[in-house]
Amino acid sequence: MNELGLLSNGVNPVLLIVVPLALAFAVPLIGFISKKIIKYIPVLAFLFNLIIAILLIPKVLHQPIIVKIGGFQPPFGINLYVGTVGILFSTLIALAGFLVSIYALNYIKEGPKEKYHILYLLLLTGATGVVLTGDIFNLFVFFEILCISSYALVAYFGNRAGIESSIKYLIQGSVGSSLLLIGIGLLYGQFGTLNMADIANQIQSASSPSIFVPMVLMITGLGVEAAIFPLNAWLPDAHSSAPSSISAILSGIAIEVGLYAVIRVLFTIFGASNFLMFFVFLGVLTLLIGEMSAFSQKNIKRMLAYSSIGQIGLIVFAVSLNTQYGVSAGLFQMISHTLGKGLLFLAAGYMIYRTASMDISSFEGIGKKMPYTSLAFTIGTFSLIGLPPFIGFPSKFMIIKAALAKEGILFTVLVGLVLLGTVIEGAYFFRVVQVIYFKKGNGNQERKEAPITGLIPMFIFALLIIFIGIYPNFIIKILNSAASELLNKIDYIRSVLG
Amino acid sequence: MRKIIGIILLIIICWGIILALYKIPFGIPKTKVGEYYIDKGREETGAANVVTSVVLNYRGFDTLGEVTVLFIAAIGLGAALATLKKKEKRKIEPSSLILRTGCRFLFPLILLFGAYIFIHGHLTPGGGFQGGAIIASAFILVYLGCRGRRISEVSSKTTESLGGLIFVIIGLVGLAVGGHYFLSNFLPKGELNTLFSAGIIPIIYIAIGFKVGSELAGVIDNLMEES
Repeated sequence: MNELGLLSNGVNPVLLIVVPLALAFAVPLIGFISKKIIKYIPVLAFLFNLIIAILLIPKVLHQPIIVKIGGFQPPFGINLYVGTVGILFSTLIALAGFLVSIYALNYIKEGPKEKYHILYLLLLTGATGVVLTGDIFNLFVFFEILCISSYALVAYFGNRAGIESSIKYLIQGSVGSSLLLIGIGLLYGQFGTLNMADIANQIQSASSPSIFVPMVLMITGLGVEAAIFPLNAWLPDAHSSAPSSISAILSGIAIEVGLYAVIRVLFTIFGASNFLMFFVFLGVLTLLIGEMSAFSQKNIKRMLAYSSIGQIGLIVFAVSLNTQYGVSAGLFQMISHTLGKGLLFLAAGYMIYRTASMDISSFEGIGKKMPYTSLAFTIGTFSLIGLPPFIGFPSKFMIIKAALAKEGILFTVLVGLVLLGTVIEGAYFFRVVQVIYFKKGNGNQERKEAPITGLIPMFIFALLIIFIGIYPNFIIKILNSAASELLNKIDYIRSVLG
Repeated sequence: MRKIIGIILLIIICWGIILALYKIPFGIPKTKVGEYYIDKGREETGAANVVTSVVLNYRGFDTLGEVTVLFIAAIGLGAALATLKKKEKRKIEPSSLILRTGCRFLFPLILLFGAYIFIHGHLTPGGGFQGGAIIASAFILVYLGCRGRRISEVSSKTTESLGGLIFVIIGLVGLAVGGHYFLSNFLPKGELNTLFSAGIIPIIYIAIGFKVGSELAGVIDNLMEES
């Protein structure tokens, strides 16, 4: 066994959650020593997580790791289930967290900076916890950590719009969390256990009302964070009034973690394959509504936020096809969306900073003033639209292929609607690109780029988008393994309960 | 119209929850996990209080999460209020001698009671959260009674951070020495029903007690500034 293998054998995946958490607690103490080093702590934490997560991938692909917290056998204690899905998402979270924390080094200049970094660390700790845990109440706790820190970060600037959208988000999110908690309570009452595998083992069919009701409550509760239509009223406001670094995380990580939780609950706990047709329609509806709303926006960040809703719809559509290929395609689209939307928000952040306006029309001629940032923005839009050679192309292509593999005229019509959504997406993104490059801006043509800490993360995002776009096989194996983990409930139960 | 739709929706949700509740047998101990805790909890964790053994040992990871949620709430509130402009200082009317003396007299007693609750968390009902809340109530009393006195921000922040860090570090020590499990109970369990028993549980509860107390006091402090 080589050195890397030895190292990954010794690493306990619980560190992915505990290390950022410990650092978040330590930030105020470190702040007493020096205020200047605080902003480097998230960078360190997520670099650490990224390395650990990547080291764990080969081992997890071989066999899922069950981490027993406190050493108690499941279902009596809490366990983490570090399968391919979990490690895929934790890698993605650590990657986005690392890059965005580099971006924030210079971007976050005012306000209570120390608190920003604590909340940022905790937001991503919560996200990692949600994707790794194998216990349904533990999932709720981490979900709350994720949600509450995002409420606070949306209001970071403390202006009127920020506070208002934060309150809106807080109210809708809290109602969702309560529904989720009621659903968990009902399940616990019936089965006397909170372990996901144990509950899944005891649920025979999701059709009886005593199972169906908790399922609906839990899906609705989680659906608020996942921004599935009609539960997404909070999203455009929250994503557009947060600092851009936080918008990138909310769009790229938070809603996808919400969606992960929906998928995990639906597929693994309830095994609800007979309700998935409903989600296919819901996905297409979410996609069309999101894209059409994005089309009519004049504010760049609201446009990106609505585009996130559209992308979520597309992912829901793909995953609900309930085939191996469809679920892989959905997960691929999630990665593609995280990278693409992360890049777009980061680039938009400095473009807004330069022009001091969120209006798309104020970006006229910015292609000359900020060439690198504009190029990064363009790569992001092209990838989200699904043009080759960017990552959006193979992921969207897989979705279409998976949908066409389903027989019947219905799916052909749905594919038509999905393509219509893509066309709308293309229309509004091309409009922005046109404004950036082909309209002469008035005023000074002085060239001033984003600072280097802003350009490096954008460059890495863009590089990954192009690299995976050219070599999709690089991650196809992981995606396939993740899809079979989600589709194969029996294996999940067996590996936890033995 | 909106009201009627709201009521209809509410009736549907209630009906659904009633249907699901109907399946849960009432009064019959059906929960296998719960029974396991009652049967084995004392010997496995060494805590005489079964609730504590569940909260801090079997499901200690959840408690760590909940401590974090409270931490976020306090920090988030601070962040949201920090950006608001400071208003002019209001003139504070000094309280009467009787009130002031009463507060001074009660303050240490309440602190003592709170400390008792969290130190004995593994033996009697109560624990870190309850003890912490009692300690915070002592600070409210001071704020309301002896007006003008404030807690020091530095010491409250330090206590908060240290409390959380101790919890995590105890967990990590468990990972390193106690059979490779995070949060495993690696200390000797001692004799049941004595103060020095239950391994790591009392230490964690003391940390939580300090943390919750200083956090809630900090929240009150933040809100007092604004009111």
